[in-house]
Amino acid sequence: MFFNSLSFALFFVCFLCVHNLPLGWTAKKINLLLASYIFYAAWNPPFILLLWISTLVDWYAADRLYRAQKPAARRLWLALSVLVNLGMLVYFKYGEFLAQNLVAVASTFGITLPPAHFDIVLPVGISFYTFATMSYTLDVYRGHAPPARNFLDYALFVTFFPHLVAGPIMRPAELLPQFATPRRATSHQILFGIGLVTLGLFNKVVLADTFLATVAEQVYDGTAAPGWLDAWVATCAFGAQIFCDFAGYSTIAIGVAMSIGFAMPGNFRLPYAAIGLSDFWRRWHITLSAWLRDYVYIPLGGNRHGEMRASAAVMGTMLLGGLWHGASWTFVAWGGLHGLYLCGERVVRRASHAFRPGVLSLALAAATTYVLVHVAWVFFRAKDFARATQVLRGMLGVNADVKPILSSYQLATASAIVLAVVATHWLMRGRTLEQVVARTPPLVLSVFWAAMAVSVILAQGSDNAFIYFQF
Amino acid sequence: MRLSISNFEAIPIRIVPDRPWRTIAFVALLLTITAVAGWEIHWRSFGAKPGARNSDGLWASQRRRIDNGEGDATVIVGSSRAFYDLQLDIWQRRTGRRPIQLALEGTSPLPFVEDLEKDPNFSGVLIVDTTPDVLFGAHLKRANVLNYFHTEMPSQRLSQTLSVRWVEPFLAFYDPDFSLSSVLERWPWPERAGNEWPSGVRKLNEIAADRDSHLWSKVVDDAEYRRETQAAWLQAIEHGKNRPTTAIQQTIGEQIDRMSAAVNRLRARGVAVLFVRPPSSGPYLEFEERTYPRAETWDALLSRTGMPGINFMDYPSLGSFDLPEWSHLPQRDAETFTALLIDIVQREHPALFEALRTDDSSVAHKLNAGLPVEGGACLAPDQQRVTVAGNPITQAGT
Repeated sequence: MFFNSLSFALFFVCFLCVHNLPLGWTAKKINLLLASYIFYAAWNPPFILLLWISTLVDWYAADRLYRAQKPAARRLWLALSVLVNLGMLVYFKYGEFLAQNLVAVASTFGITLPPAHFDIVLPVGISFYTFATMSYTLDVYRGHAPPARNFLDYALFVTFFPHLVAGPIMRPAELLPQFATPRRATSHQILFGIGLVTLGLFNKVVLADTFLATVAEQVYDGTAAPGWLDAWVATCAFGAQIFCDFAGYSTIAIGVAMSIGFAMPGNFRLPYAAIGLSDFWRRWHITLSAWLRDYVYIPLGGNRHGEMRASAAVMGTMLLGGLWHGASWTFVAWGGLHGLYLCGERVVRRASHAFRPGVLSLALAAATTYVLVHVAWVFFRAKDFARATQVLRGMLGVNADVKPILSSYQLATASAIVLAVVATHWLMRGRTLEQVVARTPPLVLSVFWAAMAVSVILAQGSDNAFIYFQF
Repeated sequence: MRLSISNFEAIPIRIVPDRPWRTIAFVALLLTITAVAGWEIHWRSFGAKPGARNSDGLWASQRRRIDNGEGDATVIVGSSRAFYDLQLDIWQRRTGRRPIQLALEGTSPLPFVEDLEKDPNFSGVLIVDTTPDVLFGAHLKRANVLNYFHTEMPSQRLSQTLSVRWVEPFLAFYDPDFSLSSVLERWPWPERAGNEWPSGVRKLNEIAADRDSHLWSKVVDDAEYRRETQAAWLQAIEHGKNRPTTAIQQTIGEQIDRMSAAVNRLRARGVAVLFVRPPSSGPYLEFEERTYPRAETWDALLSRTGMPGINFMDYPSLGSFDLPEWSHLPQRDAETFTALLIDIVQREHPALFEALRTDDSSVAHKLNAGLPVEGGACLAPDQQRVTVAGNPITQAGT
């Protein structure tokens, strides 16, 4: 179920009532587990079987590999876990993509295969929960975490509804200990949590869905060649949209978890105030970046084996990260571009390690980062390379016979929101939301809170899916 | 030895800023309630009343009825004219059965006919609105609702139920026309050269929970609002004129091909189809006649499908209404139009009328058995009035 829906509002009120009854902690955890299954089944009930398979296989595999004495047996149990998780992911998410590419490759050798058509619905959140369950088995295998104390805690680690379908991707060490002792939110935690939920809904429903999505859609999903203004505004609008959408989701998830007494890590840290691409990736989708760093980049060698090997590891990690986002070569191109950016940045840093940048250099580096990130977003948003090329040509101002696509209303609102998002990131750079809130007068907080709530109500958004649900 | 979990704890720390949260929340709630109440009062004074929201979820709830035991019902598909001009109360009074209203504003009925053709649960009677620029111009404003219906999730259904019961009956402003983006978009933004899109038509109808709908009385009673609507139609008409003739003719041909294929398959399954051309007037009618001439659209469609049709131009009683914004009938006239339409069906297509009245699908089977095949080669043996190539051919009743 979507956070931005009436069904979630009813679900959460009912859940909170039961959660705050004078019951034992185990009973409350069972309530949380059942609620999480209902939350997931509300999308497509049969897919709950996949969640159970993933849960059972990793629980059993981690337990067996923990008890196993021989390294070969340990590796076997780990392989079982990885195969089952990746197998599900490949079948449901990449099956059609792989088959289409197989057909294309075969045709280049003159072999005609029947056209690939998989009529498969992608189970929501499969990329997120398979990564979470795999991290459990991998951490137990590497000795970075012990197995969960009991199956209930482990099932909750996988299924905990605030992070189940779109993260933040939590590690066993972050979440499992929270189930060990009773947790109950204070009234301040509940109210601040609801405030975070309102902030997340404002980002998603008002900024992303109401004002930014249509601008990106009109340029990217149309067929007309955009001019430079439409291409840039639509691309910057998409950059702001995907931030407001995903950061909005994460903020709601954190607020929901806080109001039932749990803590979740932040997933975004004002990414459009990044100076440099490595800085960007320390601020954007932080839990995925950390997952890829720990389970892909470092096992690939990290920076321990020289510059060339480190660059290869970066490229491999980013290409995989791109593919994780979607079964399309455009996502791979997006990841590849970021990989190249990061490799290029390593070269520049090495060549200029003695250079101490001034304000102007930092501003130039920040502007370059913003532009490069948005050039990459073109491949992320466009449905194919032809459209991506057309939009990029528009951004360079070399499309012929262009006609205005966006109205002045769309140009004005999208530009204002993009500027506001970037300005907010720079104004808050180096500070957390909590630090800013702590220094703001109560009346101002009330007015902000009410303004966001009123905007959400007046926007009348339908329960649109969050962008990252498709990944 | 098992490792202790405490050695590996890395619980995130989330700080709640030290602020008077109870006071802050109370003031915020007060401000929110005040602002929303003010917004509600504003739109009620504008003439809006609480009612069902014309949402995809509401449409899906009606479409679902076909698969939940009402597959033999009469189903209306088409654009806003069928939506506002066909009154379900009157229809029910005249036939004894309440149709399922699936028409959508600005949206061709063709994808919906094709969808019903693929649904084995549907065995009733299909009323197809043939508003020329929408059907033959292939306008698909809300055709995505089909995708919504086929992929609707349990949580979306629950949200729809909650909205219908707990939100929509109380809030007049809960209407897409009064949403934040719609209100802002209506501000007098400067025109961008080369981007003169027609401004959207404003709220035109009121709707009930079963999608029974009628033209909003404000369109009839408020001269300024009516002029605004007419201006929007004129802009849309002007925009429609820019399409090249060859493209229009190609689209018309494609729509007729697809419609006749779908209707033939429906007929083979025993589903009866009636095409209806609701009235239009003024500049709108002129535009339709000029861009989508009857001979190339209506007549060709009936000829190709061999199904009966009722065109307001063929019946003085159906064409005698005053349309305030040239495209839709006021509620009272819509009721009269519905009654007259059913009278015509009863008089000229008695077998079809029986199919509308009964849930026995064998009646529709028998009716279809006598209808002309594609191309309009033969006429109905049950002596129906069938319009072929622009000339109403009336045969003696039995």
